[in-house]
Amino acid sequence: MVARTLLSRIRPLAARARLFSRTYHSYDHPPPPGPFSSTESSILSASLPHIPSHGFTLTSLSLGAKDAGYIDASTNLFPQGPFALVRYHLMTQRLGLAEKTDSLETAEGAKPMGTGAKVKKLTWERLMGNKEVVHRWQEALALMAQPSNVPTSLKELAALSDEIWFLSGDTSVDTSWYTKRASLSTIYAATELFMTTDKSPDYADTREFLDRRFRDVQIVGGAMGSVGQWVGFTASAGLNVLRSKGVRI
Amino acid sequence: MASRLALRPLLRAAKPQFQATQVHRCFTSTTRRAESPSQSTNHERTTHFGFETVAEAEKEARVAGVFSNVAASYDTMNDFMSLGIHRLWKDHFVRSINPGSSSTIPSSGWTMLDIAGGTGDIAFRLLDHCTDINNSPQSTITISDINPSMLAEGKKRSLQTSYANSPRINWLVANAEHLDTVESNSVDLYTVAFGIRNFTNKEKALREAYRVLKPGGVFACLEFSGVTNPLFDAVYKRWSFGAIPLIGQLVAGDRASYQYLVESIEKFPKQEEFRDMIKDAGFVVPGKGWEDLTGGIAAIHKGIKPVEKA
Ligand SMILES: C[S@@+](CC[C@H](N)C(=O)[O-])C[C@H]1O[C@@H](n2cnc3c(N)ncnc32)[C@H](O)[C@@H]1O
Repeated sequence: MVARTLLSRIRPLAARARLFSRTYHSYDHPPPPGPFSSTESSILSASLPHIPSHGFTLTSLSLGAKDAGYIDASTNLFPQGPFALVRYHLMTQRLGLAEKTDSLETAEGAKPMGTGAKVKKLTWERLMGNKEVVHRWQEALALMAQPSNVPTSLKELAALSDEIWFLSGDTSVDTSWYTKRASLSTIYAATELFMTTDKSPDYADTREFLDRRFRDVQIVGGAMGSVGQWVGFTASAGLNVLRSKGVRI
Repeated sequence: MASRLALRPLLRAAKPQFQATQVHRCFTSTTRRAESPSQSTNHERTTHFGFETVAEAEKEARVAGVFSNVAASYDTMNDFMSLGIHRLWKDHFVRSINPGSSSTIPSSGWTMLDIAGGTGDIAFRLLDHCTDINNSPQSTITISDINPSMLAEGKKRSLQTSYANSPRINWLVANAEHLDTVESNSVDLYTVAFGIRNFTNKEKALREAYRVLKPGGVFACLEFSGVTNPLFDAVYKRWSFGAIPLIGQLVAGDRASYQYLVESIEKFPKQEEFRDMIKDAGFVVPGKGWEDLTGGIAAIHKGIKPVEKA
């Protein structure tokens, strides 16, 4: 019951997000996605290319402001400082996933991908979205772990799980809805952290790590939707996720 | 008990004396303003002076009078009105702006303008932050006030700081509504702390702020505001309306001036309303547009002048 109400609230949101990301790529000047105004978006998107060399810092934000025609003082537009960059990165990467669903189509005549395989594939795509900034990702994690940023960070993580399941065509409305999302959140956060230390070519180790996590939880294709497990998960998910993100609690 | 008894004659004496000073100051501060506010004619534009409604021209003169009277004992009174925390607010205000920050080394330096800068309180803090935190000794500031005696007080104080006779500080006597000598698009940061509620035409001052700021420049205002918790509001009003003018009388010997200060705070637009005024002047605001301090006794409002798309 609760699941259904929540679902009906989240689904339209996800649908809208997909709509946004579609228009995003079809126009030169996209409508501002999510919580950012068009002025903020123009500065933030100009800041993204500076992250690989300057990190998730005020410097990247200042440089982006300059590229967008603004000045150093304009960073006052972002009361949360460089966390705005983290949030913008997370959001645009999440919304960008809708563009990647082409890779889920199989050749004509071949067996179509199952939901589980699609979830795996999209999770991998999302992780690869961090490739350019992975050597700076610890900075992002530290910002996400700041008490005032934790709620937003967790919400964004939940939204990512939801988006992945949604794009994979999951239509279940039972209690497994929660389990699936909680489990995916945990897996994603752990793998993302693992990736920051991975030096193997093409992130082969990360790939393996991810596969192992999926096997551990057996959520993909299987039904581990027992209520007891779900309660355990939700109770500890937030904490675990945070711990895996490097918060000492 | 004993103290209350001791205060009673003072309280009783306060009312008539209040009127006496009022008339006295009207005569002294400007000879044009001999008539009392109630006689102002219909075709004169009126504005608020505390809870009284007065002609606009007269308000300017009266505000100047208030601050001339208050200048010397100004800090003591600020302490009473802010429950002793205005210094913390000012520190926070400056830190939140992060003046002098730069993506280049060395910093190119910010050009700053502190309006209603009176005693230099905000300006010295801004310069300190530029120098100590952001390694930007290139940053400069113009301290502007309508009242020469407030500026004189500030100059005197600057001698006690590391900015004595510094070329980084300019002094400018000007009405915030007509910053004629300040060039358009020339300023990185415009600050006004505990000043804007005294302006006769706040919209006009905001338009001037917009004009002088560079595209991307920041308008930042620290001002007494609307206490958000009703209980706290009642308590604070009791304190400010009851105690402050009385203390003003004891400390500064000028009850009327403090009566005005307290009433002007109450009259000042509340957070949302002021945010909308800032937007109406053309600024984009960060987040919801303001930050409450100490339950809303004061608030920081900001706006950024957008860059015109080519
Ligand atoms: C309460 S003091 C604030 C001083 C200082 N900014 C601070 O925070 O301590 C208000 C100042 O506003 C100035 N003022 C009042 N009306 C003004 C106007 N129209 N233009 C410029 N300054 C004005 C007064 O002269 C006075 O110095």
